[in-house]
Amino acid sequence: MSDPLVTFRNVQKRFGDFVAVRDMTLDIQPGEFLAIMGSSGCGKTTTLRMLAGLEQPTRGEIRIAGRLMNDVKPHDRDTPLVWQSLALFPFLTARENVEFGLKMRGVDKAERKRRALEWLDRMHIGEFADRSVDTLSGGQKQRVALARSLVMEPQMLLLDEPLSALDANLVIRMQGVLTQLQKELGITFVYVTHSQSEAFAMADRVVIMSQGDIAQIGTPKDIYRAPANRFVAEFVGRNNILTGTVKEASSETTRLATPAGTFMVETPETEPQTGTKRSFVVSADLVSLSLEEPTAANRVHAKVISEEFIGSVVTLFLESGDGQEFKVQMQERQLMNYDLHAGSQVWLSWETENAHMLDGD
Amino acid sequence: MTKRLDLYALTWRLPIILWQLVFFVGPVLFMVAISFFVVRNYRMQPAFDFVNWEKMLGRGYVWDSYWYTLFIASLSAAIAMLIAFPAAYALAFRASENLRRWAIFLLIIPFFTSYLVRTFSWYVILAETGVLNALLGYVGLGPYTMLNTHFGTVVGYLTLTLPLAVILQTVTMANIDRTLIEAARNLGCKPLATIWRVVIPLSKTGLIIAALFCFILSFGDFIAPFYLGGSQEPTLPILILDTTKSGQQWPRAAVVAIMMMLTLFAIAFTAIALAYRKPKGAR
Repeated sequence: MSDPLVTFRNVQKRFGDFVAVRDMTLDIQPGEFLAIMGSSGCGKTTTLRMLAGLEQPTRGEIRIAGRLMNDVKPHDRDTPLVWQSLALFPFLTARENVEFGLKMRGVDKAERKRRALEWLDRMHIGEFADRSVDTLSGGQKQRVALARSLVMEPQMLLLDEPLSALDANLVIRMQGVLTQLQKELGITFVYVTHSQSEAFAMADRVVIMSQGDIAQIGTPKDIYRAPANRFVAEFVGRNNILTGTVKEASSETTRLATPAGTFMVETPETEPQTGTKRSFVVSADLVSLSLEEPTAANRVHAKVISEEFIGSVVTLFLESGDGQEFKVQMQERQLMNYDLHAGSQVWLSWETENAHMLDGD
Repeated sequence: MTKRLDLYALTWRLPIILWQLVFFVGPVLFMVAISFFVVRNYRMQPAFDFVNWEKMLGRGYVWDSYWYTLFIASLSAAIAMLIAFPAAYALAFRASENLRRWAIFLLIIPFFTSYLVRTFSWYVILAETGVLNALLGYVGLGPYTMLNTHFGTVVGYLTLTLPLAVILQTVTMANIDRTLIEAARNLGCKPLATIWRVVIPLSKTGLIIAALFCFILSFGDFIAPFYLGGSQEPTLPILILDTTKSGQQWPRAAVVAIMMMLTLFAIAFTAIALAYRKPKGAR
């Protein structure tokens, strides 16, 4: 792997008594699409603002391309940011907005205009170049904001929830625009969002933050299938989390006794000690449902409580005899075969390889 | 819209319409009429005579006074805006919300006292043997003549307009979206340049209105040029007073008043049009 473009070393940021980022160590690779995800107040925006120089770390080191950035002013950096509010200058036209950064760098007028128009064309909004930005639609403004940052030809683009103001259809389209741009330009994107679907759809790697700490770093698939801890498992959602006591552990599988029954779980890298309390997760879409008792090793009898219908996918909420909650996700047309209603008794089962043990209890 | 609704709306509007008719439109029309009256044996007689207009507009000193008033009121408005800007900028961007509230409260306090009284207090400070000259004397400067000068007039105008300029500028700039300033910095704009590139364009409307207020108040002010400026170079309000005093020339004073009103109308109209002009490319 080449040298990282950005390194955070033990970075802390405090605002008075409030610790926004506790002790962050993170490498960002050149050319990667990194999403930083978490709920509000988790420190993700502060992290991005530190990269842009809009906040200074209280302690620790931030380096970009090897250069220590702690005291470098925002205007001396090459870290354009696409803002949540877009922050377009309302007194300038679309083209003048795009030219702004070039003008600050002293690029001459003709060259500025040429490059601005080139980017506006590339974003398919060339025809609006001389319009006031206030007259543009949400999606068009979004493209102006992207052009304004990318015209600077940066090594890295910072994005702070740029799609949160758009309607659902437009979000999907802009996701496509962003991933394609990132591939074509080959530059690093650091994308802050609270939306799991945005992060998972676009990012090569996802950083999940919780209360100023990194809860997990990994590919979207890692995080979805193998959450590191309870926080990530709950944050990612649609996971069944079961807690119990370790009865027996081999290098392959661990037997865990939970109130809902005894289940086999894949043994993690460090073998859990017998008698300790541990938890494991099974994704809701990896749980099978049947009316007859299945032969699988991991099975549990449960009662349907309710269902949530989102388009073609349905999530069933169930409860086993001892009060353990279960979620099962399946295609709507699959579910139709069962004729279920609240109170129906069913069997749930899953493969041992799909049961993933969490760090801690 | 139905007729009944019109009547309802009219009922609410009627008091203000009547008020404007009786106390503004009426007197203005009356003043215009008076400007055509004639004065014989110190008594005003109704007439329709252009003699007052010919006399006033034909005299050099009226025009001298006109241009002087226009100049010194503009200068004073410009000075007020310039002095107010750093203060307002600091209050809007550096001060806490709490400090800003207190500052605005303190800036309103001068308006509790009569402007005339505040003007007189400058005598103590600006006089030949006043506070300022005494202080300058300690460092071996002066004494300077400050009363009955153009400087005195401007100081008087600023007494009236400066607190207002600071308040209006502060309120305007405090409402600017900070993200836009950060966005400018993010795109390579140096801190001082953001004032010119972002802060001023964003507060354009408020700044023009503030400057307009400073100008209007100075242009029509009688007290500062009279007491602190010593009416050396009479401003138009002083000219009006002098004209009415000398030979009961109310009609000629009316001519000056109409000149002033037309000037203010033109300037206010232009300023407001500029303040609310849509940005380029707007539809």
